[in-house]
Amino acid sequence: MAVRLDYVMRETGSNLARNFTLTFAAIITVAVSLTMVAASFLIGQGINNSFLGLRSEQRLFVYMNPTATEDQTDAVSKALDDSGQADKVEFYDRERTFEEFQTLFRDQPDLINSVKPEDLPTSFRVKPKSTDAEIVSSLGDSLESLEGVKQVAYAAEYARDIQRSVTTLNRWVQFTGVILIAASVLLIFNTIRTAVFARRREIEVQRLVGARNWFIRMPFIAEGLVHGLFGALLAAGGALAFNTLWKRNFVEQVSFELLNQIRWDTSDVVMSVIIVFIVGAITGAAGSGVAVSRFLRI
Amino acid sequence: MIKLENVTKVYKGEHVALRDASVDIDKGEFVFLVGPSGSGKSTFIRLLNREERPEKGVIHVAGKDIGALPGHKVPDLRRNVGAVFQDFKLLPSKNVQENVAFALEAIGRPRSAIREAVPQILDLVGLSSKAKNMPDELSGGEQQRVSIARAFVNRPLILLADEPTGNLDPATSVGIMKLLDRINRTGTTVVMATHDRGIVDTMRRRVIELDNGRIVRDQVRGVYE
Repeated sequence: MAVRLDYVMRETGSNLARNFTLTFAAIITVAVSLTMVAASFLIGQGINNSFLGLRSEQRLFVYMNPTATEDQTDAVSKALDDSGQADKVEFYDRERTFEEFQTLFRDQPDLINSVKPEDLPTSFRVKPKSTDAEIVSSLGDSLESLEGVKQVAYAAEYARDIQRSVTTLNRWVQFTGVILIAASVLLIFNTIRTAVFARRREIEVQRLVGARNWFIRMPFIAEGLVHGLFGALLAAGGALAFNTLWKRNFVEQVSFELLNQIRWDTSDVVMSVIIVFIVGAITGAAGSGVAVSRFLRI
Repeated sequence: MIKLENVTKVYKGEHVALRDASVDIDKGEFVFLVGPSGSGKSTFIRLLNREERPEKGVIHVAGKDIGALPGHKVPDLRRNVGAVFQDFKLLPSKNVQENVAFALEAIGRPRSAIREAVPQILDLVGLSSKAKNMPDELSGGEQQRVSIARAFVNRPLILLADEPTGNLDPATSVGIMKLLDRINRTGTTVVMATHDRGIVDTMRRRVIELDNGRIVRDQVRGVYE
């Protein structure tokens, strides 16, 4: 004994039409929530992509004291050569450091004007042969103990710091997404409950003549599924729009130093659309399934 | 067919609707439940299709202990126990034949079977000419006939009727009783709660009288009191 498809479609259709305003509200809420979900997924992917490179990059910055003598600098250079761990060593003298400083702080001319090349420390930028953090840090330790060395900094550490703050941001976006999903589940729940209430006589008769619970439930679940899927359809559009806007406003704008690092590719966009549909379908079906269950207790 | 053993039903922990009731009803019997309002007649009926469960005692319907029936088996029980009510419980948005067909759709009957069964049952209750009418275009008696058609279209073993003539004038009630009698003659067990003295006294069937939840009389070919 199978549930007849035409029966489910007919019942679902009339339910949807009867509650048009609520149906509309439910679909819009689902769409907004799912768009947020898609956006948070894309931002998350973007963050992962942009920091993947930094995370695996084990670079060392050996900053010399401004007062370090040439001998001391040479000793560091020699130590690096002798260690056999350095793949590539670049020495930043005062002029080169100053150039970099000017680039980094080009927005703050006052700061640039107040600093002279001789105020800045010279440094070695070292790319170790090994990417093993332990080996790299033991190399760093041995260099730090040399005379004239002010500090050894690690690129990975810097990356981790940035990543930490962006991850926090990402977590907030996800949190908002979850709240919105919960809101749409409640709204679907409420819509279906109204639909169930409007049809309580029919449900009563169905139960009296011996309809099985899932038979009674099916049109309502289908209705929730329609809410979820239509919401997902709109949200997929929202995800594509978000993708376009992000690229246009951040990725393709050089001036957004941090934000233009957060980028994702087409496969991430496809994935976000798939997620939106799956979450939409589950949200819709589950919300309505629960709503109608309350009327089916025997 | 129906067997109650020391059945007690208590509502909300205090109001005792049925006390220690024991009854045996055979297949094909026609039984009237009589007694004042609140004596437990409706509770008796509601226990038989598992709309309620007893606090104590055992209820057997068609050989099954229905108190122990798991929830997912209750629909099977109800397919064998038709029910008719004082307020008909018709769906106002569906016409006569749709109301009857709805009962068969709800239990997943194929369309061909529905097309065959509905005109037959409407013929039995004498409403063939009103198949396309909406419930609000029918008289009370006609609406009750639709409700009986819906309860019986699946040919249940038992038909429960809770004051089926409660809203009808005496002449119309006689028609309804003739219909229930006819259904009973097909071998269907009928249990009917009623206040209608005239009907009980005329039909002279088994009478079970309830008072304050107790069975105070159980009489073959009985009268109202």
